[in-house]
Amino acid sequence: MIVLRKLLSSTRLTIVGMALLAVGASLIYGNPAEVPVWVLVVPLSVLAVNLVAAIATNPRINRRPGLLMFHIGLLAVVVLVGVGRLTHYEAHVEMVDGQQFTIDDAIDVKSGPFHSGNLDQVQFSQGPFTVDYQPMLVRGSTRSHIRVRNEKGEWQARVIGDDTPLVIDGYRFYTTFNKGFTPVLTWLPDAGAPVTGTVNMPSYPLFDFKQSNSWTPVGGREIKFWLQLDTGLRQDAAWTLDVRRTGSVLVVNDGDRRVELKPGDETVLDGGRLRYEQLRQWMGYKIFFDPTLRWLFLASILGVIGLASHYWRTFTAVHTATDKIPALNSASSAALTNKG
Amino acid sequence: MFSEATEMPWLWAGLAAYALAAFYAFRGVAQQRVLAAGTGVTRGYEGLVLLFMVCGVVLLAVSLGVRWVRIGHGPFVNLFELLVSQLFSLGAIYTLVYWRLPLLRPGAIVSLPIIWVLGLWVLMLEPKDAPFPPTYYNDWLWAHVGFGKIFLAFSMVGSGLAGVILLRWIGWFASWLRHLPADDVLDRYAWRFMVLALVFDSLMLIAGAVWAQDAWGRFWSWDALETSAFLTWLALGGAIHARLAWNVPIRLGAVFILIIFVVAFMTYFSTPFISEAVHKGVI
Repeated sequence: MIVLRKLLSSTRLTIVGMALLAVGASLIYGNPAEVPVWVLVVPLSVLAVNLVAAIATNPRINRRPGLLMFHIGLLAVVVLVGVGRLTHYEAHVEMVDGQQFTIDDAIDVKSGPFHSGNLDQVQFSQGPFTVDYQPMLVRGSTRSHIRVRNEKGEWQARVIGDDTPLVIDGYRFYTTFNKGFTPVLTWLPDAGAPVTGTVNMPSYPLFDFKQSNSWTPVGGREIKFWLQLDTGLRQDAAWTLDVRRTGSVLVVNDGDRRVELKPGDETVLDGGRLRYEQLRQWMGYKIFFDPTLRWLFLASILGVIGLASHYWRTFTAVHTATDKIPALNSASSAALTNKG
Repeated sequence: MFSEATEMPWLWAGLAAYALAAFYAFRGVAQQRVLAAGTGVTRGYEGLVLLFMVCGVVLLAVSLGVRWVRIGHGPFVNLFELLVSQLFSLGAIYTLVYWRLPLLRPGAIVSLPIIWVLGLWVLMLEPKDAPFPPTYYNDWLWAHVGFGKIFLAFSMVGSGLAGVILLRWIGWFASWLRHLPADDVLDRYAWRFMVLALVFDSLMLIAGAVWAQDAWGRFWSWDALETSAFLTWLALGGAIHARLAWNVPIRLGAVFILIIFVVAFMTYFSTPFISEAVHKGVI
């Protein structure tokens, strides 16, 4: 038992764990799909067991408040990262100007097995947005106007973008480079009620050369079209992506026939009429949820404070003594240590 | 108001001052070989080293300031800016250590040439402008970069002392360096600086994670720079534990310190520019 305790708490096991973690970190670099997460989980588990044993039994740690705080902080970070992976939630969502968020809109969802949150309670609606570009299409500031429903049920306007996410109930919504235009279309069938829908076109300006898509209204047939845009984009000048400054023509391919529609125009197709209502934008958001974030920050900061305080006490305690340690040549050392 | 031509002379002058500081650091050590210690000659050279270091720091600060006014943002984006910024911060922190801790001054014959490696490198680069990414306006950038600079400077001080220990191994240098403090004294101070480096490395990683969470919606994603920075932290922590667990010989410990510094150096100056990961910045 004593041998096992010594083994588990030994500094040598710490070094083995660190070496394994270094190998694991090198393998997981870039998040390759073929590398299992165990390359990190195994060394982190070894280190966690080693830390617990060392904290419990090693007097060089548990009798020194600073070092104890540092190692408890490290242990807390390892545990919290594990809890975070079990409870996290990540997804993407594309929000059209005027659209209200619902949980069903989330795509590419990845979540831990114990994730539980109130994403279905999150209420915000998308407004217009602008993105500044410097010459050579270097992306600048993004300003996404949204409206958030507060606790009183009132809608409040906010502007988010870049490093300013929308945070509601721990869910963080980040604007991304993925955004584009959305034509609003209405299908007026010869018989039946009209249907209005939106179609998100490929990301702009990344795919400005292929702004094509298709739409199949409920009860109708597939309509293929592409969007001719006049955004004012020039490679050699600063430019702002803004739907309010964008002209558009919807080009509908109806067999051999080509029809150009401006906002408000409509055309007759087989089985009904298609009206191009207006041009809007869509913004792609990344959704991130990890309930351990603030605790991770707190644990890591407390750990560093512990380490710093330990060495502060150690260094200041022996400062005078070490300054008087003799050199290979004591006369020279005396000259060097003479602060003058 | 300013042009590239206004900024470069300040940079060159700063590098020249650092070169003179390095020259007098070597001169001081060389003089010790032939003169009896404590004659005042060495201290005179140390005064010159300090003077030229201060001049170098001030001149580089002016160079950075002129560039900042010219392009409208701090030196955070491309390799040229990072190198000049590091030349300034390494010089400033090293000058402070040199001034306050006379015992460590012999390490200047290793530390100042390390600084000058960066100086030579910067001379080979185009001082071109780079667009400032919107996520770089985040205040955590300052904490992340600031802690990182202190970490690298403390690693460099430790490496300077480790370098002196290893140079003594070489016969030619042994006679030069025999008057300097004993290996165990240098070793103890070198590891103290590496422990301080660990504290600031940890703070740098924490501040970087907070910034990454704001900027890219994740606090850690194992991109090239994050992985490399984490490996540096592990190497530093592992080396400190190894020193505690085993009776690591002083020279082997000095080799550990130099390896850690090389890993840190690579993290700073090569990884961000060979990777297309988001950490590269201008994406």
